[in-house]
Amino acid sequence: MSIQNLNTFDPFADASKGADDDVQDGLVHIRIQQRNGRKTLTTVQGLSKEYDLKKIVRACKKEFACNGTVIEHPEYGEVLQLQGDQRENICQWLTKAGLAKPDQLKVHGF
Amino acid sequence: MAEDDAIFDPSLKKKKKKKKTSFDIDAALAEGNTENDSAPANDADNKESAAAGEDQDDGNVDIDLDFTKAKKKKKKKPFTAEDLDSVDNKIEIPQEGSGDVDGGVDDSFDLELDFSLSKKKKKTKKPKNLDDLIAETEEKDEDQENVDENSTQWVNSDRDYTYDELLNRAFEIMRDKNPDMAAGKKQKFVMRPPQVVKIGAKKTSFANFTEICKMLHRQPKHLLDFLLAELGTSGSVDGNSQLIIKGRFQQKQIENVLRRYIKEYVTCHTCRSPDTILQKDTRLFFLQCETCGSRCSVASIKSGFQAVTSKRAAIRAKTA
Repeated sequence: MSIQNLNTFDPFADASKGADDDVQDGLVHIRIQQRNGRKTLTTVQGLSKEYDLKKIVRACKKEFACNGTVIEHPEYGEVLQLQGDQRENICQWLTKAGLAKPDQLKVHGF
Repeated sequence: MAEDDAIFDPSLKKKKKKKKTSFDIDAALAEGNTENDSAPANDADNKESAAAGEDQDDGNVDIDLDFTKAKKKKKKKPFTAEDLDSVDNKIEIPQEGSGDVDGGVDDSFDLELDFSLSKKKKKTKKPKNLDDLIAETEEKDEDQENVDENSTQWVNSDRDYTYDELLNRAFEIMRDKNPDMAAGKKQKFVMRPPQVVKIGAKKTSFANFTEICKMLHRQPKHLLDFLLAELGTSGSVDGNSQLIIKGRFQQKQIENVLRRYIKEYVTCHTCRSPDTILQKDTRLFFLQCETCGSRCSVASIKSGFQAVTSKRAAIRAKTA
């Protein structure tokens, strides 16, 4: 007779693994910052480490016709930074590419 | 506000993009102007009154619409510096007069509404809702009659009551106790718009900041933290109790941020009542509702990653 309590079942297995398909967990924060004049910067924080941010930024640069970089931040990890107001573009793109669900995107700023 | 989340709908996106392309300083200033121009420019308004009249039907503000109007007016009216100065005073005055649609409509913005939706959607929605409501109330009336018969039936008789009867009875009592709810009315939370004025080229003043804090029953510091974190800038409250923010912002943009603040930190997440208290409990903020008694934690204010926007050489000079 097996005792249930002694089973080697890890109840947190799927929690740490990420419950479903390729979609990441955790919120993606999309922010906008004003620069001088009417220029702006868009930052995307919180994308999963599983993704190759460099590839993402390369695709985004091409898609939105803007420049962009990946910035390494000690606290927030890798952060995407794009020139101009790309908030809507990036939201659309992330959902279309299946990298994040629409309810995981949190758009900040005005 | 489930519609709020639909911001990523591609159909909505088109419209936003259009707005953004038309974003320039003049338009921004002209937007402020619509409010004080509208009184003398009644004749000019008459042309638009068809469109504006529809607006009034709802009795609510549609910012998108206003914006386009502002653009129209920009063409008609040359903008003077005098106007800019008077924007401040005139927004406060509740504008009367039938011709003045803009002012009356602009005076208060209403949180129950979803501004991200286009005008047309709202319209198609409204009549439907009304119809639904009427139908509902009619049904309720019928129900009530049934209930009256039923309730007397089972109160007097010895037989067991049914579930439906009890349910009807409960609803009846509820309706008796608060008649507002019975009519299907939602409590509307009307707020004054923020007064946003430019100071020079790089700063913006939020003139009635403390007033709005008082209306929301929130600490100015909390709102200040949120505003600055969301806008990704710095700022402070000056001697005249107005907020000075670094960067150029329009009233519409501040309104957007305020709406988000109210949604997260003022209205109850369960019953949407604005009658709430924000408490700090072991490093977490809790929202306690006075109406329904629910208590839930709210997100902490984080500014997150901030990119370097100023001159790097200047930063280096400062730190070194």
